[in-house]
Amino acid sequence: MSAISAPAPASRRRKRIVREPQRLLPRWLQVVVITLLMLMLLPVVYMLIISVSPDLDAASAKLWPSQFMWSNYLKVFTTVDLGRGLMNSFIASFSAALIATIFGLGAAYVLTRFRFRGRAPLLSSLVGLQAVPATMIILPLFVVFSSVGSALGVQIIGSRPALIVTYLTFAIPFSTWLLVTNMRQIPTTYEEAAMIDGVTRFGALRRIIFPLMVPGMVVAMVFALLVGWNDVLFASVLTNPDTQTAAIQLQVFANSTDGGVLPLYGQLMAASLISAAPVVVLYMIFQRQLVGGLTAGGDKG
Amino acid sequence: MIQDTSTPGAASPAAPGGARRGRRRKEYVAGGRPLWLLSPTLALLVLVIGVPFLIGTYISFFELDQYNLRNWVTAPFVGLKNYADSLNAALLLHSIWVSLAFAVLTTAFSAPIGFLAALAVNTRFRGRGLVRSLFLVPYVLPSFVTATVWRFILRPDGVFNKVLGLHNMQWLIGTNSFWALVLVDIWAAWPFVYMMTLAGLQAIPDELYEAADVDGVTWVKKIVYMVVPQIRHQLLLGLLLSTLNHFNNFTLPFVLFGTPAPNDVLTLQVNIYQTSFQYFRFGLGSAMSVASLILTLIPAFIYLKASRLTAAPGEE
Amino acid sequence: MGRLRKVTLILPLVAASVALAACGSSTSGSTSGSSGKTLTVYVGAQPNYPQQFAQWSKDITAKFKAATGANLQIETYSSASDETTKIQTSIVSGSGPDVYVLGTTFTPVAYGTKGFLTLSAADWTAAGGKSRLLPQTLGMSGPNSSTQIGIPVAMRPFGMIYNTALFKAAGIANPPTTWDELIADAQKLTKNGVYGMAVGYADTYDPWKFIWAFTHQAGGSLVSKDLKTAQLNSPQVVNATTQYFDLLTKDKVVDPASAGWKDADAMAAFASGKAAIFPMATGTAINTLDGASSAVKGQYAFAPLPGVGPGMQSLPAGADPAQTIVSGDNLAIASYTKNKDLALAYAKLSTDTAMQVEQFNLFGNLPTNQQALDQVLKDNPKLAPFADAEKGSTPTAFTGAFADIENGLANVVVQSLPGLAKGTYDVSAVKSLLDAANSKAQQSLNRAGQ
Repeated sequence: MSAISAPAPASRRRKRIVREPQRLLPRWLQVVVITLLMLMLLPVVYMLIISVSPDLDAASAKLWPSQFMWSNYLKVFTTVDLGRGLMNSFIASFSAALIATIFGLGAAYVLTRFRFRGRAPLLSSLVGLQAVPATMIILPLFVVFSSVGSALGVQIIGSRPALIVTYLTFAIPFSTWLLVTNMRQIPTTYEEAAMIDGVTRFGALRRIIFPLMVPGMVVAMVFALLVGWNDVLFASVLTNPDTQTAAIQLQVFANSTDGGVLPLYGQLMAASLISAAPVVVLYMIFQRQLVGGLTAGGDKG
Repeated sequence: MIQDTSTPGAASPAAPGGARRGRRRKEYVAGGRPLWLLSPTLALLVLVIGVPFLIGTYISFFELDQYNLRNWVTAPFVGLKNYADSLNAALLLHSIWVSLAFAVLTTAFSAPIGFLAALAVNTRFRGRGLVRSLFLVPYVLPSFVTATVWRFILRPDGVFNKVLGLHNMQWLIGTNSFWALVLVDIWAAWPFVYMMTLAGLQAIPDELYEAADVDGVTWVKKIVYMVVPQIRHQLLLGLLLSTLNHFNNFTLPFVLFGTPAPNDVLTLQVNIYQTSFQYFRFGLGSAMSVASLILTLIPAFIYLKASRLTAAPGEE
Repeated sequence: MGRLRKVTLILPLVAASVALAACGSSTSGSTSGSSGKTLTVYVGAQPNYPQQFAQWSKDITAKFKAATGANLQIETYSSASDETTKIQTSIVSGSGPDVYVLGTTFTPVAYGTKGFLTLSAADWTAAGGKSRLLPQTLGMSGPNSSTQIGIPVAMRPFGMIYNTALFKAAGIANPPTTWDELIADAQKLTKNGVYGMAVGYADTYDPWKFIWAFTHQAGGSLVSKDLKTAQLNSPQVVNATTQYFDLLTKDKVVDPASAGWKDADAMAAFASGKAAIFPMATGTAINTLDGASSAVKGQYAFAPLPGVGPGMQSLPAGADPAQTIVSGDNLAIASYTKNKDLALAYAKLSTDTAMQVEQFNLFGNLPTNQQALDQVLKDNPKLAPFADAEKGSTPTAFTGAFADIENGLANVVVQSLPGLAKGTYDVSAVKSLLDAANSKAQQSLNRAGQ
């Protein structure tokens, strides 16, 4: 990056062309695309407005609040234990995402670098398992967990590991597949060259493959993280008050019992934006790894 | 592929063993292949999806309902009755059709958006990190929230109608509801393909970009002949997974329309949920799941085969 | 390379801290009471009353501890579907909370699962006895007075809210007592962009209650008295359904947009002064009506819904007034519980006068305890109409198939909405939808009989 400040002013124009080999769209189109997509975020702006509106204003579709309810951003933490919920979500989702990415990396390595019997069926079945409807799994899964629990004499339902294992399982097929496609892009010649130089297989994996796979892993991790972060179906039956996740708590705000009680729209939006923030921030930190054109050595910084 | 130096056949260096031991790699490498790296994945898949799926399949042959739920092993065996019921009474085919149309349309619209978005942020510019992250917001919002917000926006006297000057247009009932569902899911899901593409783009070596620039090809050609072939695996996989994800999206239609869902948006997932958890017909719900799974996996596997996504190393 | 190295460093660190956090909390998560026992109760969340809920939890936990020496763990659910799923998974696996708070219309379904304890005379005594409870509230406790699973803890009858200022301006002195009067009043009130009534046709919970009420007021019912035959396609139900739709299509007393409204949208219309009557309300609506930016603060009142159906001058012989369903919450004890005595002790505590009054003061739930109710009404004369409504209440059919019936009717309405949005409906289409709903309900009733 330090190289950017180096070029002499005279060669600037020419330099820019060379320096932007990754430019894929002409500038005008790039501007158009980005602008349009930013406009698509208008509903999020609307969420911001609702989050500080009285619930009745929101319910009657007022575009601007009659009074600002900034207190919603504080209230959400007392209406439910949102702090604990976010922590629970973070622990469950992040552990699952991390493990899924690591397992996925191992699996992808094997699946792209070796031929063995059952390789293609395995890859296909990963897609097949991904297609099993969650609504079908949920009741039997509960039975499985509770029988395993009573067989082992531990309370599995409601525990964090049960939730992590569930998210992990749904995240693995995807991370594996994503990393498989990415690993295929990396020529095998890189690691072979290293291994001829006497580097062990794991040395090659760590020093050659791993750096090149970072962008793919970041993306795989974000997706895996979201499996748990957004889940309500499994968390609603697999958690107890101590392990309840933020996504479950969000539903509480929308709870509309019949009889004319308005849901807490303002707090719902405030809580949603708060709970979306950690993922966006995490991604903001990690997206720096999504820089293009890594070369053979993986050294571009 | 351009950088793939391997050629099919025994001499392929695709397997590193080939480089070490020459032609007879198969026998030699067997012990050296770290296949155990797959075992944790397999174990989990069996425990969390495999076993429950088998139980579900078992249930599909029984009349499990609210009256025998407590002692579910005593549910009466009914053979294929639930399967017959799903086709006749439970609107299974209708739901499959709704889900399929919804999934294909949503993917068809959201994939180009995501692809273009990834191309647009592949160049460095001021604030790129922020833009890249903001793009993620619709995807990061829990589906439940997305659906609640859009239910708000699309109400008869909601903001959508207000802004577009439509008077009391009904988006959440009748045939419009289907298009509302497609619209909302496109909004929520385009970042999926965006992220897949972005990951793929990063692995394209600078040399390739530079080579294309030196040749002075147009940007369209650069995309079509250089970028797309490089990331075609990600794209093909992205299309498949995104179709499957839309097909299996439960929360969005469930919260957007509530239950019972209008028939126009009675997606398979919502139908199975209603059947199992609201009408308490778990046997029927399981039968519907199994039947629909088979029906969806056939095209999915054909696609996998045809797209050569599962091709072995060196077999491309 | 620098950045990459940072990532490789960060990841294991984060992993380690996450793992530590997971371990730490799992050890602290295990509960062990002084007497070694913990009763788990599963109650609805109260997002509108966070401090009050904390207060209630604290009080009842302390009282429970004092009375039994055991601990109380309170788990909450956020929606009815949440609770249903939890009950289903708990029953099928034989593990879960000991005591559930069930809505009244769900109680028969819960009874159908045989997953809940039928209360013996001794159990009732341990739970504080039936005699102190308002008799109507026991209407949804079980199929008959000797077979009951539900202990009523809260009463939430439905009534209407009307805008007193609009009523006055239209020269209407008293709230209507028949549906014809109500519709006539509503027509008078419909002018200047204000509609007589606000109805959420697209709501999940509202519509079937209208159809149910009109059916009963015409002498019909959704299920035969012996609970064996579904009657969803009987003339009374067909008629009731069309009468409900007529409010929009013929009487034109509701906003045409309400074909797409949920209950909350209808409430928003009423609370912003755009509708004069909100017909399906409970006392808990006060929270919204007195809340921020409400246009009706101080100018609304409650009244029971009419006990005479549309098109009638008086109730036909043998018909029920059906002014409200028997609505509220029942406690039910899971049959897998190992803490039956504690569960009954909890029920006793929840239905005693002090806790019942506190429950009203905190959440606005009317007491089922007679003495507590008298006390509450003395202090809150505004709510007297709800007590009257409860006197005119009619229990819904006590059958495990009620979920099918309720969902069936809801589905009839949902599938009719597109026509309704255009201001019309097709009677034959309504009939065939009711036929389909009826055959589903009948199948479920048959399976219940087996």
